[in-house]
Amino acid sequence: MAVDSAVTVARLRHGAVRTLVTVAKSVAIVVPVFLLATFVTFALRSLSGLSPAHIQLGEEATPEAVARVESQWGLDQPFLQQYWDWFTGLLHGDLGTSWVNGAEVSTLIGLGLGVSVSIAFLAMGIGIVAGFVLGTVAALRRTTWIDRAITGFVTIVSVMPAFVVGIVLVTIFAVGLGWFPSAGYVPLAEGFSPWLTHILLPAIALSFDVVADVARQLRSGLIAAYRENYVSGALVRGLGGRRIFFVHVLRNAMGPALATLGLKFPALVGASVVTEWIFGLQGFGRFANDSAQAGDVPAVQGVLVVSILMVVGFNLVVNLVLARVTPASQRGV
Amino acid sequence: MLSLPSGRIAVGLLILIALLAALGPVLAPQDPLATSDNTLAGVSGAHWLGTDYLGRDTFSRLLAGSRISVLASLEVALVALGVGAVPGILSVYLGRVFEWGTLRLADTLVALPFLLFAVAVTALLGNGLTQAMLVTGVLVSPLFYRVSRAATLTVARSQYVEAAIISGASVGWVVRRHVWAKVLPPIAIALAQTIGVGFIIVSSLTFLGIGVQPPAPTWGGLLASDLGYLDYQPWAPLAPALLIMVTVWASNLLADAIRDVSGEAGRAFVDNRRDARTASNDPSTPLPLGGAR
Amino acid sequence: MTLLSEKPVVMRPTPATEPVLALRDVRIGNPNTGAEIVHGISLELRPGKVVGIVGESGSGKTLSCRAALGILPSNLAITSGSIEIAGTDIATLSTREWTALRGSTISAVFQDPASYLNPSIQVGPQVAEVLRVKKGLKRREARHRAIELLQAVHLRHPELVYSQYPHELSGGMLQRILIAAACAADPQILIADEATTALDVTVQAEILDLLADLRDSAGLALVVVSHDLAVVAQLCDEVLVMREGEVVEHGPTSQVLYRPEHEYTRLLIDEHEQYGLQKFVRREKAS
Repeated sequence: MAVDSAVTVARLRHGAVRTLVTVAKSVAIVVPVFLLATFVTFALRSLSGLSPAHIQLGEEATPEAVARVESQWGLDQPFLQQYWDWFTGLLHGDLGTSWVNGAEVSTLIGLGLGVSVSIAFLAMGIGIVAGFVLGTVAALRRTTWIDRAITGFVTIVSVMPAFVVGIVLVTIFAVGLGWFPSAGYVPLAEGFSPWLTHILLPAIALSFDVVADVARQLRSGLIAAYRENYVSGALVRGLGGRRIFFVHVLRNAMGPALATLGLKFPALVGASVVTEWIFGLQGFGRFANDSAQAGDVPAVQGVLVVSILMVVGFNLVVNLVLARVTPASQRGV
Repeated sequence: MLSLPSGRIAVGLLILIALLAALGPVLAPQDPLATSDNTLAGVSGAHWLGTDYLGRDTFSRLLAGSRISVLASLEVALVALGVGAVPGILSVYLGRVFEWGTLRLADTLVALPFLLFAVAVTALLGNGLTQAMLVTGVLVSPLFYRVSRAATLTVARSQYVEAAIISGASVGWVVRRHVWAKVLPPIAIALAQTIGVGFIIVSSLTFLGIGVQPPAPTWGGLLASDLGYLDYQPWAPLAPALLIMVTVWASNLLADAIRDVSGEAGRAFVDNRRDARTASNDPSTPLPLGGAR
Repeated sequence: MTLLSEKPVVMRPTPATEPVLALRDVRIGNPNTGAEIVHGISLELRPGKVVGIVGESGSGKTLSCRAALGILPSNLAITSGSIEIAGTDIATLSTREWTALRGSTISAVFQDPASYLNPSIQVGPQVAEVLRVKKGLKRREARHRAIELLQAVHLRHPELVYSQYPHELSGGMLQRILIAAACAADPQILIADEATTALDVTVQAEILDLLADLRDSAGLALVVVSHDLAVVAQLCDEVLVMREGEVVEHGPTSQVLYRPEHEYTRLLIDEHEQYGLQKFVRREKAS
């Protein structure tokens, strides 16, 4: 059985190497993207012409006062020097200091991140599960009224922007029926039920878009996959319908749906800006909005960097899953 | 496209909305900005949709608001088209470096959560809707880039184009003659979709109060102010919400109609990474006169 | 060389004179529109024998095979006649019974082998899957046995091939793997529908030899469908010639090839003579 173990080792290495290669490839793509995105983010400040001086001193500040404040903040240094300082700070987790209140941006963001991340993940979860179920049922019951009903429902859902859904939900369930609180957030540490009731409505609002797209992609993916010859092949070898679905068809049909998730996540993060406003949540999106309105450039830069990281990280995970589950899809890129 | 019922509905709706946008402010029965003491009134003969918290006629505000929202979404779509489609097509012909560079650029743009970025940029660069739409257009352009690139790739590798190039045709001629026809349908679909997306973004931005100075009316802005007075007028958000949804639906419908009509070329619209295997279930064989292979 | 088991070959309860597959005047058409595509095909297949079906595309040969496998397109059905597999009339079969029957009693390989394997799963596990599902083997045993099967179909380095994905292998290798998978559950009947059409001529010959081995060692009954007379001549005991849904000629291979009665068969043979059917015909004469 020496051959067996040698082959097993070879197999493991083959599989591990493949995963490593995928990770390396994804990272190699991510790095330039990250660099470019952060550079653009940083350049915004110069383009905006905003300055902490106006926040601290008001509109009638004298030029000398402005210059003094600006040099306090290090803004009289050459552009590239500032960029370098900022970027190296980034790599250490230091996102700068807020112009508005002088606090560490990373701390400020951290405060709201928990809220937003809980909602985002719940929204994703709802979206994936609901979309998956709807897409599968629609595909398997393709020619019946069930499919048409689901497709119709999905179409309606897909044109409802998150904030519209949010408003409808608040109107009906919070203000109208009073089943859910209409605003605020309770951390998980203070109890599961209160935490859930506060974040369920915003999560549902955010999930609609995901549900619609996942359902649509999965449905078409399943329909196309079932037309492929390997389904006949498996059938002819005597494999049963259930097995064919779960082991063969699903992994090939999932590709587009999974890829869609990667695209939906940035949209989700963006939409949370609005839902947090509607539901009175002091989250990441809310912080972004407030900082932007206040002209607090370092805060906004910090927000953008963090969101870039989140999106990139999420996409990395999605790509890994895709590579593992459907190696076939990787060759389409 | 007009042969399909869905196409007809979509075009009809969109024309209606376009008319609304063009003529809205003129058609409004009352001055959308005129305040009055008749606040939060219900539906009546004078005010078809009641009034808002400042006594302004809601119906007029809706009509007036259509122009801004529609124009802004169009702007997004056109910017995205311009910024994305041309590099997409050219990426197939201008060599490896250009290809790699533009691909990475597209990846970068996709990684940025566009609403967040739009909010940030708008606020930082001055509170104008135009800037916001420009930025959004650029952020959404990767779709056009990918779509036109994919379509061009399928054409570029097809045999009749190879034949043309071998016969000495220039890249420009090839693009104009062959590529354009193949690329147009997917781009049309993307355009229709982007109008819908742009609309959602415009609504969201104006909802947050970004990009338009009050008291200029916009559908998103209307929604926002309605939110504050839900206790008094719970049905108020319905009108702008419905309008937004119908517009988005119409543009998606249009996209689908174009796709259905353009058949093969429409199917070149691949907006996801997928290994498109075409299986042949048909064991058709050459006639026996073909003999051994 | 034995293929299917290390144990001595066990002959099935079906006596050698009873056909394992019987089509009796089978007509296939669209029950809704009344259009008929196959106008009555009959054949009887016995263990260890090979029946060939020859014809152009559209002649109905593939549909007949699909009917025997129970995988007709949804708009078509058997409108008249009956098909019996190992004595059971397939009209009486439920979905579950069909699933049980396929793979373990009747199996098939088709043209374009690459498309009949799941592109996202390694080839070895797809063979092992048949063993686990149909023969109840455990994971380790199934893997072991699958590698044996891969070896038996003359794949070099079967352990390495086991972990490959379909796109990493050639057409000939893939067809062997599919044959291994088809035979993994020890079926009595194997249908080879244009199994060699997409392959190189040399590979084609090897696959045909492989099929002949299966017939000899395991008593497998084969249905070989092809548009290529040479393929049929090499392997089959009995030939049906189909044209536009009709069986225009049916008889022992030597008779059909030497003394064709129908004009169409003569046409086919004349065309093939250009491609060297002669040497097959002469070899038959000599043996």
